[in-house]
Amino acid sequence: MDTVIIDGLSFALPLFIMAIGGIYSEKSGITNLALEGFQGFGAFVGALSAVLIANAFGTDVQNLFYVSLLFSMIGGMSFSIIHAVLCIKFKANQVISGVVINILALALTAFLTTQINALVFGAASDKFQLGVSERFTIEGLANIPVIGAVFTNVYPFQVIIIVIAIFAWYLLYKTKFGMRLRASGENPHSVDAAGVNVLKVRFSAVLISGLLSGLAGMCFAYSISANFSSNIYMGYGFLAIAALIFGNWRILPTLAACLLFGFAKSGGTFIAQSMALPSSFTDLFMVLPYVLTLLLLIFFSKSNRAPRALGEVYDKGKR
Amino acid sequence: MSDYIVEMKHITKRFPGIVANDDVSIGIKKGEIFALLGENGAGKSTLMSMLSGLYEPDEGDIYIRGEKVQISSPNHAANLNIGMVHQHFKLVPDYTITENIILGVEPISKFVGLFPYVDIRNANRKIEELSKNFGLEVDPTKKIADLTVSMQQRVEILKVLYREAEILIFDEPTAVLTPQEIDFLLGIIEGLRNSGKTIILITHKLEEIKKVADRCAVLNKGKLVDVLDVKTTSVNHMAQLMVGREVSFKSEKVPAQFKEEILKVEHLTVKNEDGFEIVKDVSFTIHSGEIFAIAGVADNGQVEIADAIAGLTKVSGGKIFLEGKDITNNSIRKRTETGISYIPEDRQSFGLFLDFDLSTNLALKQYYKKPFSSRGILNKQEFEQFGHKLIDQFDIRSGQSIKTQVRSMSGGNQQKAIIAREIDLQSPLMIFVQPTRGVDIGAIENIHNMMIQQRDQGKAILLISLELDEIMNVADTIGVIYNGQLQKIASSESLTTNEVGEYMMGAKHE
Repeated sequence: MDTVIIDGLSFALPLFIMAIGGIYSEKSGITNLALEGFQGFGAFVGALSAVLIANAFGTDVQNLFYVSLLFSMIGGMSFSIIHAVLCIKFKANQVISGVVINILALALTAFLTTQINALVFGAASDKFQLGVSERFTIEGLANIPVIGAVFTNVYPFQVIIIVIAIFAWYLLYKTKFGMRLRASGENPHSVDAAGVNVLKVRFSAVLISGLLSGLAGMCFAYSISANFSSNIYMGYGFLAIAALIFGNWRILPTLAACLLFGFAKSGGTFIAQSMALPSSFTDLFMVLPYVLTLLLLIFFSKSNRAPRALGEVYDKGKR
Repeated sequence: MSDYIVEMKHITKRFPGIVANDDVSIGIKKGEIFALLGENGAGKSTLMSMLSGLYEPDEGDIYIRGEKVQISSPNHAANLNIGMVHQHFKLVPDYTITENIILGVEPISKFVGLFPYVDIRNANRKIEELSKNFGLEVDPTKKIADLTVSMQQRVEILKVLYREAEILIFDEPTAVLTPQEIDFLLGIIEGLRNSGKTIILITHKLEEIKKVADRCAVLNKGKLVDVLDVKTTSVNHMAQLMVGREVSFKSEKVPAQFKEEILKVEHLTVKNEDGFEIVKDVSFTIHSGEIFAIAGVADNGQVEIADAIAGLTKVSGGKIFLEGKDITNNSIRKRTETGISYIPEDRQSFGLFLDFDLSTNLALKQYYKKPFSSRGILNKQEFEQFGHKLIDQFDIRSGQSIKTQVRSMSGGNQQKAIIAREIDLQSPLMIFVQPTRGVDIGAIENIHNMMIQQRDQGKAILLISLELDEIMNVADTIGVIYNGQLQKIASSESLTTNEVGEYMMGAKHE
């Protein structure tokens, strides 16, 4: 039972921080289907920096976790510039831009990974080996029945994510930047009339979504996959989008949705293992979060309300 | 130093194809209400946009408090204490009044001296105080989405006052308001002047100018016609300068010839979304050759009556007969084909597809029939011919004829297009809801004449209007509604404006 909670949390929290990135972008009025690509590219840059540094200085890749986390954020943010420029400067269709960025990220990182492996390390491999980040257990708290699992085998990134999430909430709801950002997604004309540059606000929002997605991608790479490969594009970005939609573009309800997805995933694996089913069945149980998504969609889509100006190109002249 | 707070000298502004302002010079004194009068497209808004920093003039200079300035942005205008109350509100529906007002100039405090945050509580207090000072009482913590249009306008005014504007520009502020709200707003504007603010009022409504303005500049086709002292100028003279020709406020019409009964409404009851009876047991009839007008203060159920007849709202009780046939439960298309033309109140949301071209909009009620389409395939040529026919017949003016995107047309011409489309249906019953809302005087005269012409051709016409003058002018029979009930039905000759007004307020009962 404990493993369900432990694995569920370690999956839900990266999903959550990526969803927050999505909230930032969409609250500012930019539809963001590119989370998947951002997290993949971010993880690629993070993983690449880790293996390069490890190679140059002979450090153990596992100890470079924090360095790679930093680089993944930079990588995700840089990649998100494409989406921002296409959607904001060139007024491209935001859905198409998002889809194209996802495809581009997959192709580009898969290609670069094999090439770099061949050229730099002389190995024929399509992945960067990273290992699994070290975990810690808070003695005492971990002994509490059931809840204790929350404090057992915790990845350090889970703590980092919670701290960032709190800061993200503060930034979005308490500061003037957040106020202007949310207004840009509701009625950009009012923001413009107040003398604030809508395009700048939206640009920063998309960059923030890239940064947080990159972070999330790196967390996945250092935990469930233990390497960087094209396997990172498992649809987590879309799951994050689903979570933020069920969460009604609000941070706390989105956390609840992420936890639900996380426990559905770990619960599915747990059931498959405890029933000692062949591995082909495990795959079947792995789709649980996605089936859950479909079911939730039926119940939640009625009461949901997207930001009013979401996906709308901002054009000063049009009233 | 001159005694003008704002001076615009020899201003010319060109847009591709037109000269919006042609060598216009005006001076505005501190502490006066200065009106800018002109028809739609006369260049009033363009002139004021240059003062509020949206455009820069091609030629000419602007002086504020005697100093020459180049106003490059709305922010710059705000620094010069110039504020504009926009005609189309720029508000965030999900935000509270306070949040909307402080957007862009947020007051900042710090948690534990470290984390800056927007100090809403402090702002709430400040705005409450401000709103009381100017008689604009609002609850700053309320959300915009829950406010009426006139309350939203108060927020727009407060927004400008919060930024410490001394020169306030009101762009057509009364276009969206009911008569009571207009009186209130004009009172506020006078109050602002009395507290030392300078007011510029853009409008095409003469009564308002007569009521509050001190001086008035008349623009026609981008040129300044005259600057008048309002007290010593008659309304007729102002109208003549504005339109450039004689205008009659009283439509010419021959006595009505009532023929057979066209519409019969029996005990009509309509409930709104909350199950509240918004129309209660209303009965009336309209004959061929009759203009029947429903007068009333806004939101007393008159629009719901029109919607129920046209089929936009479900009827919860009573019956509607058109030429003797029961149409109470028919679909909208069935009703249109049985013989109802409908000119909706909100022409941009319900009357037109703004991003479609003019010919498509004109064919909207017939596109699915021959000759406009056969076997589900549209015949574009027919659309075009039909479009040209109506454009000529009704003198609809637009930039690129049938290919014009309707969004780019003026309000008056958009309305003309709808009326043309509906008249062409040759329906025995025509429903006009607020047909002259937001259109200028020349177009109003035109629309009234069209209605009377249709009446004389034997149509039955139902007119719903908030403008009492309009009703007294064109109606043959008047029904006055109050709180969902018809208080009085009588011929227009037998009623005075005052009597109708009393019934409208529910003060007089049968």
